Amino acid sequence: MAQRKSQQETPPAAIVAEARSVREQIDDLSTRLMIGGAGKLTAYDFGALCTAATNEGLDVLAESASALAAHFRSGSKTPLKEREDLATKGLEHFRILLEGGTVEPIPELAATSAPTEMNVYAEDVEMIEEFITESREHLVAIEGKMLELETDSTSAEVINAVFRGFHTIKGLAGFLEFASIQQVAHEVETLLDLARTGKLAITPPVVDVVLESTDYIKREIAAIDRKIKGGPAAASENNTDLLARVKAASTGEPAPVNIQSTPATEDPTDDWPTTPEPEPQSATPQAEAPHPPAIAPTEVTPPTPLREERRSSDVASVRIETAKLDHLMNMVGEMVIAQTLISHNPNLSSIKDTRLMANLAQLTRITADVQKVTTSMRMVPIGLQFQKTARVIRDLSRRAGKQIVMMMSGEDTELDKAIAEELSDPLLHMVRNSVDHGIETAEERLLTGKDRTAHIRLAAYHQSGQIVIEISDDGRGLNKEKILKKATDRGLVKPGAQLSDSEIFLLIFEAGFSTAEQVTDISGRGVGMDVVRRHVQKLRGRIDIQSEQGVGTTFFLKLPLTLAIIEGLVVVVGDNRYILPIFSITEMFRPRPEVLSTVKGKGEMATVRGSLLPIVRLHQRFNLEPRVQELTEGMLVVVESQGKQYCLFVDDLVGKQEVVIKSLGETFKDVVGLAGCAILGDGRVGLILDIDGIFRGRA
Amino acid sequence: MQPTALVASPNKAMPASEERAGKYLIFRLGSEEFGVRVMKVREIMGIQDVTPVPHTPHFVKGVINLRGKVIPVIDLRLKFDLVPEDYTSRTCIIVVRTEFGEDELMMGTIVDEVAEVLNLVPADIEDTPDFGPGVETPYLLGMAKVKDKVKILLDIDQVLNNNELQGLGSLML
Repeated sequence: MAQRKSQQETPPAAIVAEARSVREQIDDLSTRLMIGGAGKLTAYDFGALCTAATNEGLDVLAESASALAAHFRSGSKTPLKEREDLATKGLEHFRILLEGGTVEPIPELAATSAPTEMNVYAEDVEMIEEFITESREHLVAIEGKMLELETDSTSAEVINAVFRGFHTIKGLAGFLEFASIQQVAHEVETLLDLARTGKLAITPPVVDVVLESTDYIKREIAAIDRKIKGGPAAASENNTDLLARVKAASTGEPAPVNIQSTPATEDPTDDWPTTPEPEPQSATPQAEAPHPPAIAPTEVTPPTPLREERRSSDVASVRIETAKLDHLMNMVGEMVIAQTLISHNPNLSSIKDTRLMANLAQLTRITADVQKVTTSMRMVPIGLQFQKTARVIRDLSRRAGKQIVMMMSGEDTELDKAIAEELSDPLLHMVRNSVDHGIETAEERLLTGKDRTAHIRLAAYHQSGQIVIEISDDGRGLNKEKILKKATDRGLVKPGAQLSDSEIFLLIFEAGFSTAEQVTDISGRGVGMDVVRRHVQKLRGRIDIQSEQGVGTTFFLKLPLTLAIIEGLVVVVGDNRYILPIFSITEMFRPRPEVLSTVKGKGEMATVRGSLLPIVRLHQRFNLEPRVQELTEGMLVVVESQGKQYCLFVDDLVGKQEVVIKSLGETFKDVVGLAGCAILGDGRVGLILDIDGIFRGRA
Repeated sequence: MQPTALVASPNKAMPASEERAGKYLIFRLGSEEFGVRVMKVREIMGIQDVTPVPHTPHFVKGVINLRGKVIPVIDLRLKFDLVPEDYTSRTCIIVVRTEFGEDELMMGTIVDEVAEVLNLVPADIEDTPDFGPGVETPYLLGMAKVKDKVKILLDIDQVLNNNELQGLGSLML
């Protein structure tokens, strides 16, 4: 294989440096074999050895290791004693091979029969699960890198990274006998090998075919995932076409003339959902001049040691079930409460023991630290979601025939994993909306004096304890009149209603609303934007829109940093304490009689900063016995939800508190007006109010 | 236990006495004594502050914090339409595990007093008598007679799990 040849051409020093990892593994395996016997070794150990050996170009060793793995796979009929002999013999064998010696091959370790399709799924479900997780991670990384390559096709480091990703997938798939994945990964690897040795330029068709391959592998992995979760067995998808296309792409001559005629783009097969329609080269988003052909061979950097980088990332992280993290969060929450109860114990003030006090203070500090660390464990950078979105923009823009460049900033901004995952849908719908409705065609853009290439910018940053995600385009902007007219037509707004700009813009999030003149296959069925709203609401976030006609639109998603903790304002009504999320509060005050007014004798209103806001009495909504009935003796909290403001009337305010949010559980999931609950400082449960639900109340 | 069989036809599909034998936690409500399977009981705690949840039936007292988990609490007196009475130092919350749809749910039940744990043998247990039409007894497992006193054996899943609790909020508005 080409890759191995190229490695053999690298200076011997590199081989030695890389070989250490195989040697280390062999040492480790023999030690474990000696101490624990063959029962302590698993197929995975030899699989890892096989991967390392392949990385280092030790073909023979890799094959034997793979064959050895087969004997150790659970369900293998090889008796333990025989396994032990084989392993001992094999390891001895490997050592000699490693020294550069040659040996008689062991018959039992000759390459096993050709891999069977979709193997038995052995009993190695855990291994397959690991394979699925790992492959998915690699695929996401690969997609990101490929998009990078589209703008800078010469970065050897990036090509190497993609190559490594496919290589690992190939190794794992081969070892678990997922032949279809292995074949595709293998072909792509070959293709990329040409690229990294400078024999092939990374052109858009090459990127296409690589991305197509990732899609294929994704689908296959999804099928495997379904299968091991007990779903129906699906035959693996036919990959002959894809293989042919990858091969075709790799034969593309480096000369720029040939890029146009690379067969890959002309392939008419259309059963691939993401296959861009064959279209002229100029329609690609980053239509740069084709890159100069072959990079001079002298510039080719030798392949970086693969093993080292992989290992460092392995050491740096551990996968933990989210359920365990949640449990830990719960326990830490309880610990914080217990600690608060102790340090607020009134009897403490009579104790004069300074040492005890110092210890208590120390405990308080440590508890706070533990809480901080626990919270941060759930945090992930948003970059991963951005990368996925970048891929979507690329595909969509091609299909829509628009030239779009995507820019990102703040990819390192961290947020709760649960939120990050929930975000992928809304992000997808919003960029769809931008690509399809926001951005004009190149011709339109030229007519209005804009650059023919449009820009979509994704940005993330922190702002006052929230994370803000901006999605902005420089397209045609939202047409206020058109939105208003349509909303009126659909009965979403009463004719003649006075709405602010942002209220009008928010109408596009109403279910069944769509501004697209015609329905396209990408979006415009009016389902996208209300999905966005639902998701964002679920995450306790807010959406704002800024838009100027002809200049562009910016969506702002404002989300809490974590789903687990919110800042709350504790309020009292009668004997009950409730928590209002701080992010939905704009102000609070004790009303003076002159700001109050009634409409037709029943609807109560208050004038706040010049605007008339309705008053909602919490005790009425919840049928409680309040301590105060007079508005002027209680407090009004001005809250905002869905662009609507109103005043919530409560007896009194207690203070601000950071609380760990808990679900009220299935039993109370339909109770209107409650968003959840939290355990307050004294160990009692406080209910968190759902601002929107309370306002809609009985309606 | 086969709770579902009980709903359809409480008297005919009563499980055999052998199946119903075992350890029961006996508690008191007013002058009656009731029993729940010990297997179903997670723990017993004294009465504590319960946070009321609005828009729920009167017998749902609210929620409590059980070591970081928030669980609903119902008052069995109110659930069984007995006269409400003030809580005393003997009032207890029995935390039970119930089946809630597919999941297991922890729920607190407020009772007047916890009496004892009894090991009931099949001979102690009788089927619920037929109270005639109009008297539904889906949540009765049977009756146990011990030293001439009758204990009413409850199928706690049925007590807590009929649709009253599911989606109760929407009904109240």
